[in-house]
Amino acid sequence: MTKKISVGIADMKIARQEGTLITYALGSCIGIAFYDPMIKLGALLHIMLPENNQTDKNVFKFADSGIRETLRKLYAFGATRGRMVCKIAGGAKMFEMKGPGGLGNIGERNAQNVKRVLTAEGLRVVSEDTGANYARTMSLDVATGQVYIRSAGRPERIL
Amino acid sequence: MAINKYEEMNEMELDILKEIGSIGGGNAATALSSMLNAKVNMALPQVEILGFNEAIDRLGDPEEVVAAVLVEMSGEIQGIMLFLVPQNFSDEVVFRMLGKANAPLLELEEIDTSVLTEIGNIVISSYITALSSLTGVNVELSVPQLTVNMMGGIMSLPIAMMGQHSDKIMMVTGDFKINDKALNSSMLLLPDVESLNILMKKLGVA
Repeated sequence: MTKKISVGIADMKIARQEGTLITYALGSCIGIAFYDPMIKLGALLHIMLPENNQTDKNVFKFADSGIRETLRKLYAFGATRGRMVCKIAGGAKMFEMKGPGGLGNIGERNAQNVKRVLTAEGLRVVSEDTGANYARTMSLDVATGQVYIRSAGRPERIL
Repeated sequence: MAINKYEEMNEMELDILKEIGSIGGGNAATALSSMLNAKVNMALPQVEILGFNEAIDRLGDPEEVVAAVLVEMSGEIQGIMLFLVPQNFSDEVVFRMLGKANAPLLELEEIDTSVLTEIGNIVISSYITALSSLTGVNVELSVPQLTVNMMGGIMSLPIAMMGQHSDKIMMVTGDFKINDKALNSSMLLLPDVESLNILMKKLGVA
C-alpha cells in the first residue's frame, strides 16, 4: 500500500517517485493532476473558484493563481513544460441554481477557466472527466502517473 | 459595526444567530413531528465558523453518500438552506411514510425521493417562516431540489458561495432526533455576509 497524501479544498500537494495524492468528493470544484513522467514528479491541485480578482492570498482557491503557483513549484523541482501531463476532473453541477452570482454554473465556469489558464501556460489537458451532476474523488499515483476517478454508484475510471 | 467577514462576528451576534437557529429549528421539528407522527426534537443549534476542510470534517466523511434538499433564499436575505439526510434518517422517514424498509439512498425510487424532497421542503419552510416572523425580513424560497451524492460534493456549492470573499464558511447547524434516536441529519442555514448585516440590523443590533 503506497502512502496516501490528502489534498484538501483550496489546497495543493506535490510528491515524487512514490505515493498517491488524493482529493475527495470534488463537486463544482476541479482537481488538476500535473505529472512529469521522466522524473516522476506529480502535483494535485484542488481549486474551487475560477478567478482570483482581489489578490486573495489563498492562491490555491482559484484556477488562475492556483495553476500558476503549482507550475512555479513544479518547474523549480525540475519538471519541464514539454513533459507535463495534465488531467482534470470535477466541475459538476450538483444543483440547478438560478440565484445571484452565477453559482448555478460555477462548475462549468471552473472547468472553462482551468482549461483556458492551462492553455495560456502552454499546457494541454490530456484527458478529463468533468461536468454532469455527481461528485468525484480523484487520485494520482505518483509512481505511475495513473489518475483514478471514483464516484458514488459508478465503476472506478482511469483517466 | 458592519460585519465584513464571518470570523468578525462578536459574541452577541453569534448568540443571536444561535437563537434564530433555535427558533427556526424548533418550528421545523414540530412540523417534522406531525408529518412523521413521532417525537422529534433538535439539539441546541451551533453557529460554526470553520475553514473549508474543517466544515466538511465537521459534517462527516466527504465520500459518504447522503441525500440533500437545497433551497435558495432570496429577497431581503440571500443564501442557501441545506437539509442533509444520511442513510439512517432516510430509512426512518421512508419507513414511517411509506412502510418500506432498506432502501439504499442510491437506489431510491421516485416515490421515495419525492417524500424526502417534501420532508425537506416542509422542514426548511417552517424554519424560514420562524426566522421571518422573528426578524421581520422577507425571504423568498426557491423550489426545493433533491440530490443524492457524496457529501463533500454537495457542500462544494455553499463553500463556493461563501468562499468568494472569505477563507471560512459559516453554518448554523441543527441536528434532529426522532424518538430520541440521534440520526445525524443536519439542517444548515447558510446566509451570505450581507444578509447577516441585514438580520442584525432588523433585530436592532448593528
